[in-house]
Amino acid sequence: AQRSTRIFARTENDSPQSKTSDQQLNLSVLRFTFGIPGFDESYLPRWIGYGFGSLLLLNHFSASAPISESQMRSEALGLSLAAFSIALPYIGKFLKGSVVEQRSLPEEGEQVFVISSNIGDSLKEDLAWATYVLLRNTSTIAVLISVQGELCVRGYWNCPDQMSKAQLHDWFKKKVDEIGLADVKETLYFPQYAGSALSLDILPDGTRSLFVQPLVQNTNEPQKVNGFLLVASTAGYAYSDKDRAWIGAMAEKFRG
Amino acid sequence: SSSSTSQKPKTYEGPKPRKNLVADFISKNDDLVRSLPIYVGGASLLAVLFNRTVSGIAPVADASSSQSRADLLALGLAVTNLLTGLVWLSIRPKSITPVNPKGVECKVVESDLPASMVSELLWAWESLKVATCCKSLVIVYNGICLIQIGMVAESPEDKKTVIVKTDKLMQGSVYRGVMKSKAQSYLANLSLYPGRSELPFLPANTQAVILQPLGDKGIAVIGGNTIRGFTSSDQAWISSIGEKLDATLGRYFVDSDEISRVTV
Repeated sequence: AQRSTRIFARTENDSPQSKTSDQQLNLSVLRFTFGIPGFDESYLPRWIGYGFGSLLLLNHFSASAPISESQMRSEALGLSLAAFSIALPYIGKFLKGSVVEQRSLPEEGEQVFVISSNIGDSLKEDLAWATYVLLRNTSTIAVLISVQGELCVRGYWNCPDQMSKAQLHDWFKKKVDEIGLADVKETLYFPQYAGSALSLDILPDGTRSLFVQPLVQNTNEPQKVNGFLLVASTAGYAYSDKDRAWIGAMAEKFRG
Repeated sequence: SSSSTSQKPKTYEGPKPRKNLVADFISKNDDLVRSLPIYVGGASLLAVLFNRTVSGIAPVADASSSQSRADLLALGLAVTNLLTGLVWLSIRPKSITPVNPKGVECKVVESDLPASMVSELLWAWESLKVATCCKSLVIVYNGICLIQIGMVAESPEDKKTVIVKTDKLMQGSVYRGVMKSKAQSYLANLSLYPGRSELPFLPANTQAVILQPLGDKGIAVIGGNTIRGFTSSDQAWISSIGEKLDATLGRYFVDSDEISRVTV
């Protein structure tokens, strides 16, 4: 039993910060950079677009009338180029091998770890391990796995303070039932999540990516769902195809 | 304490993901989109010059006329586009085509293992197969080859599958090196690696190998079909799975050792 305690001890101590930033595609290229800390050069075309676009407008309205046709042509072209430059960083995000956004941890609140008490030891260990590695290996900040109505919750959640573990467990259970997540039949991925009117208010503030993976049972019976796995991140587009494949592999463990 | 889940689960009425047409288009036409800013920037550059020529403006730009100022700004934007396109082209990930492993499909699982352990090993294999370029997996623990699955080399003489010789592997420098360093070892381009003769059970054209120690008692040999095919995120996941397998296997083998000691 000594080995299982080792896993549990590590899971409690390690925070998601221990995840290193070497998570993206392995690219052996030299990247042009100004090296200014806190300045993302991929947004440079956007700032130039805004700047030069406004200068064009300024130039247009400050010029003495009449404005020649050839200048109008230049300005039309310039403004379209400005619009295109502004759009470039957005387009660049979807190219293969583009830099992934980093997650930011919420300033307030603490990490929670809640697990149903009435489940077997081996399932408990698997759940504790799976939630831990999802936090470590993806840019997840909040993870919830539900297997046949039993829960394992870990990470930063928008949950009330000053609750005992048992109360918190019941609170999560109630919330999850309200949303009806146990009914989800196919994977849901929101790479640009921006809040929702529904009971998804349990997600931490600033959640920008949300991925829900149902645990579809291995039986011939179609659409028999054993539970679900939910991960959320404060980074937009946090889950690449590869990440989703690995999250799916984690979910396989609990399909039943 | 709280097992009152007998009621039917509520139907899900939360948000549904919408299709992002832009994202779909870009990921399908990566090469086209990558060079698009170069074409747009280049064409605009020529268009500005052409516009000046046909409108009979002097080729010398001076900041005193509003026409020249507009042209200069348009040129600046065109160059911005051009440079962005060049940056995009320079960071294009090299796509290396996977090879077809030369070997035969094989599945050998140690028969003495309890069912839960077998299902965990098979789960690890399925995960690797789905999420990475892994085509062969061998797990040796406590001196026993627990599983050899996926593509396996065929010996040229008698056309039989090459089964892992545990003793030979464990005496080899590859195994001992990994055990000594206690860290994952990634042979991103196997053909450059002299120690590959110690892994004769992998298909001859295996391109990349990860050697993942399982605690101090075992090793997982993971063969892939693409040079540098395992990403750093794959490596992190494989370490995690290695720790998990070590925890599960370690507990089983400690218990079974104790039992055998008691019975002896």
